[in-house]
Amino acid sequence: MIEKISFSATINGQKVGPMDVPQDLMMVELLQEYLNLTGTRLSCGQGMCSACRVIVDDPAKGTYTVAACVTGVAWLNGKTVRTIEGIAGEDGQGAPLPSAIQQAFLEHFSFQCSYCTPGFVNSATVLVEQLERSPIAADRVEDVVLESLDKHICRCTGYVRYYQAVKDVILSTPGLTHENPVVLERPA
Amino acid sequence: MNRFLRIVTLFALFGLVVLGTVYWIGRGSGDIPAASVDFASLDGDQRQEMLERGEWVAHASDCAACHTDPSGGSDLAGGLPMETPMGTIYGTNITPSDDHGIGGWSADDLYRAVAWGVAPGDKNLYPAMPYPSYHQITRADSDALWVWLMAQRPVNKPNRSNDLIFPFNIRPAVTLWNAFFRPDAEPFQPDETPAAQGEYLVNVLGHCGECHTPRNLAYALTDDHLAGEVIEGAYAPDLRPDALARRGWTEDDLVTFLHRGLSPQGVMTFGMFPVLSHSTSHLATDDLEAISSYLTAGQTMTGPQMDKPVAVLSPEGASLYTGLCAGCHGTDGAGQPNSSVRLDVNTTAMYTNPLNLIRVIAEGIPERDLAQGERMQAMPAFDQMLSDQQMTELVNYLRQRWGGQEGDVTAEVVQSAREEGHAAR
Repeated sequence: MIEKISFSATINGQKVGPMDVPQDLMMVELLQEYLNLTGTRLSCGQGMCSACRVIVDDPAKGTYTVAACVTGVAWLNGKTVRTIEGIAGEDGQGAPLPSAIQQAFLEHFSFQCSYCTPGFVNSATVLVEQLERSPIAADRVEDVVLESLDKHICRCTGYVRYYQAVKDVILSTPGLTHENPVVLERPA
Repeated sequence: MNRFLRIVTLFALFGLVVLGTVYWIGRGSGDIPAASVDFASLDGDQRQEMLERGEWVAHASDCAACHTDPSGGSDLAGGLPMETPMGTIYGTNITPSDDHGIGGWSADDLYRAVAWGVAPGDKNLYPAMPYPSYHQITRADSDALWVWLMAQRPVNKPNRSNDLIFPFNIRPAVTLWNAFFRPDAEPFQPDETPAAQGEYLVNVLGHCGECHTPRNLAYALTDDHLAGEVIEGAYAPDLRPDALARRGWTEDDLVTFLHRGLSPQGVMTFGMFPVLSHSTSHLATDDLEAISSYLTAGQTMTGPQMDKPVAVLSPEGASLYTGLCAGCHGTDGAGQPNSSVRLDVNTTAMYTNPLNLIRVIAEGIPERDLAQGERMQAMPAFDQMLSDQQMTELVNYLRQRWGGQEGDVTAEVVQSAREEGHAAR
């Protein structure tokens, strides 16, 4: 008999559960088969390609990504998770508004088949959020982008356009590099 | 006052006499056996035979483990840092470069350096050069190694000075260490049995004890031969027959492990991975069988056992295993070939010392090209995701479920192992 656990979490800002699920269920199965969140892509099934990376917001350990194909619901129970469905904003009239990273990927034609894109979006989003807290020198951006996205595999070989898009977002967004600080408007 | 001065002088003189005696005992080298051949009269076939034997000696002795050039290009040009409690020692250039290597050395010089730890000019080598193990190398093997080394491409790369703390940076002081801890050079007399060949390979050329044998406070090998030791931030396990049997080794699995770098008991990692690539993967099956035969020493080897957990497993540990490990290693620990190792018979959880288990989970393992076409994909690091308490739960779970060990690892032990890992990286 399959042992079950009671699972609950906050996924894309929505409370999920408590619900009984098999204790050895992997996160990608929960998202796709139980919650109908099919944007997280199962590919290698071994945590190697990063297509399925989702974001975990942990108050104690910070924000990080995990491979949903090999990370069990047992680890994510009670945690706050963001998937690709939770990245875009809303334009005020009910239509989705791409995040800066998503918009840059569109403008740079970064992806072709798009199978790896949710993983790239999530890891790049975490990188941008890290830089908001700890800006870096502009001349380090290329290295940091490569370091952060290096483990993501794209079979359409879109790496250059992905990396260029993320680099552009980082260099053009105030507050992410030392050379481009946020300028606070002073009251007149 | 005069009486006090006389006593001090007497003690000082006595100290000098003792020091002088010890220095005299440990100085230079003893007699060396005559060369095994007349190098000047070697014909083409004899020279070729020596070259082949010399290459075998270089592999079996794992010269490249310390003398490789970490920037690439040569296995013998030196520069690899070795961290010791006394500081950092850098492997030297042993290519036949006249200016920076050993191009000017004779075969006698090489034997004296390898077996006695003394380079030309009566210069002491530090015992990071494992002459306390090589002291039994046969003169024929030393000569073959010399012929092979002198036939290699010279690399004109200067040696890097060691960064040792005082007083270990005083090289002549090694003489005092030699007086107490250096065994005399005595060429091994192997008979033809595999176990004797294995003894020569394990204890002399392979110098396995340099990592696997506990050291004393003077950093010399103790009599607890191959009983396991923590070195360079990792635990080099107990290789005595009963320990190997308890951890589920068989003679065949040992051969496979040394030949391919993996077996049901685990994968070469930490300091053993370079040993695989530079040494054991190059040895013939006969050599590996000899090593295996010597190490198992007639002990009954029952092979991997899937014992029941030794205690009631903690739900926290089980939850962490299911959440973070089971996706690759399986809920039953069966693993996946060339992707994630079996955990149900893996030996890492079977060591009393949990250092390696903690470090592997915290730091992960890079993907590896092992040997004979075997590969393992990377294991991710869980350092950021696991608190010391969570790591403690997980490590104790693995030890109790598959390791046959007590769940007695504490958060303090975990913290200390993580620090040791950070220092070793």
